[in-house]
Amino acid sequence: MSGAREMTPARLVRRLGFWLAAIALALWSLAPVYWIVVSSISTRIELYSVPYKHWIPRAPTLQNYVDVFTTGPKYRAGGFLPSATLLYSGVRNSLLVALLAAACLSLLASLAGYAFARLNFRGRSFLFFMMLLLVPLPVWVSLIALFQLMSVLGLIDTRLGLILLFVSYGAPLYVWLMQTYIRATPRDIEEAALIDGASRFRALRTVVLPVALPGLVSVFLVAFLTVWNAFLIPLIFTNSEAAQPLTVVLSLFIGQYEVAWEAMSAAAVVTMIPPILMALFFQHYVVRGLALGAVQ
Amino acid sequence: MRRIRSEERTAYLAILPVGLLLACFVYYPAISTFLMGLTDANPRVQGLEGSAHFIGLRNYGQMLGSGEFWASVWRTVLIVLMVLPLELAIGLAAAMILNEQFRGRAVLRTIAIVPWMLPPLVNGFTWSWILNGDYGALNGLLYQLHLVTTYHHWLASPSAQLFWVAVAQVWTRFPFAMVVLLAALQSIPQDVVEAARVDGARPAQIFRSVTFPMLLPAFTVALAVEFIVTFQIFDVIWSLTAGGAAGQVINPFTKAVMILNYEVVFRNLDLGLGSALAYLILVLSMGVGYVFVRMLYERGA
Repeated sequence: MSGAREMTPARLVRRLGFWLAAIALALWSLAPVYWIVVSSISTRIELYSVPYKHWIPRAPTLQNYVDVFTTGPKYRAGGFLPSATLLYSGVRNSLLVALLAAACLSLLASLAGYAFARLNFRGRSFLFFMMLLLVPLPVWVSLIALFQLMSVLGLIDTRLGLILLFVSYGAPLYVWLMQTYIRATPRDIEEAALIDGASRFRALRTVVLPVALPGLVSVFLVAFLTVWNAFLIPLIFTNSEAAQPLTVVLSLFIGQYEVAWEAMSAAAVVTMIPPILMALFFQHYVVRGLALGAVQ
Repeated sequence: MRRIRSEERTAYLAILPVGLLLACFVYYPAISTFLMGLTDANPRVQGLEGSAHFIGLRNYGQMLGSGEFWASVWRTVLIVLMVLPLELAIGLAAAMILNEQFRGRAVLRTIAIVPWMLPPLVNGFTWSWILNGDYGALNGLLYQLHLVTTYHHWLASPSAQLFWVAVAQVWTRFPFAMVVLLAALQSIPQDVVEAARVDGARPAQIFRSVTFPMLLPAFTVALAVEFIVTFQIFDVIWSLTAGGAAGQVINPFTKAVMILNYEVVFRNLDLGLGSALAYLILVLSMGVGYVFVRMLYERGA
């Protein structure tokens, strides 16, 4: 769309159409998010005004955030806990589980990815195949036996249990991703380090991973985002504030008879913050990994 | 020789943690769930300590013969049939917009990716607030544009519920199609397009006979992936129309296959039947997805 050329009527129409389409795309993508954000900073009176809505709040307020995170006695869900208690534990659980699962996945995927990319061992292609087989396998085909296994192990409703599950079900994809990234790093510096007497693990840590760092960052961020957004696994494997993440806490509020939408919106916006930060600052890393892992 | 031995030991050490996790938490429960699908396991019938009986493929027979199952497959297929064309059309349009050079391109790209980054559960919630019949933004907007005179309950009828589930799903997933198609668009060599233009082809002609054929592989991939993803839709329905939180009855009108599976297992505790259903859904989604890809590739070749 360079504008240097002469403006004929046909070209003018085409440009106008293009900009209309671009604006439509922006509105379609952004409007629902905008409305949730506006709802979260509106007063109840403005938000519930009919038939005219206040598209821009006249008296923007953070009171809804204060309410859901402090008093929050308006609605009780998931037992008889006030919403503030549930939200605090939700934020804590979501952060801890997502951070630790992403860290474990980065570490384990680097190790296994390195082995598959660079080392020779018996059963290599068989094991690789057995792992790839699991990449598109959805968690629910093993859910029932998994539930019994987790009960026996005492891991129901624990953050440790969630981390174990997310790491196990994410591992095939992220190992595969890491091995493609490591395969793309040059071999010669690694061999130089090995000749200098470094062990394989040392070479991985000091020579290979620094080169494959963008890939590692991508694995970490995509894993974090996937765990943060997950709903089905925590819905089934948690049942109290001991481990329930934000998504499950939100779903408990939705189930109530009367929803206080202004407060609910504030809670939803809190859940949206990490994903939006990812889109803003780490898009490059996240999009590639997510696109490759889409089948999961 | 020693060098090789030690390399092998290093390799086994490096894959051991992942291998153990996959064996214990994926392979073992997956196989054991499959086997449970061949039994009549149901703690409500047998009690927690009671033992289930091997009944062969009877669970599969029961599922395939039940109207409830086929009704939920039909609902899911309806959602898929609404989602796929809409999503790919919007994804393609968005990709073609972002393939142009213009000011604000990076910003628009970021904006358009946001819905995909958000938790699908939250997206369902967002849309349920927008569609709210008493105070919703869609009502307000249409009223202020003088397109309606009274507020409308958008989720009142069963077919409307399926439609809005599809819309929320399209909103959540279109950036994926956009990203895949944009990558394909950018890999089309510009000189081919330029040559067609020099030969006097109109933009529509160029798109039909140059751009689109080269997009076909990416299109097929997006279609197959999105078929599988949409067939297994759960989160968006859960927060938009299912209404099953806190032990309440699950809304039957949007009971897609995954919601049915959840209900059979975690509400009815029919573990044997639920296991069989899980594998039926797997076969249906993967199988149809695979056939899709084959068909399109053969037609393209």
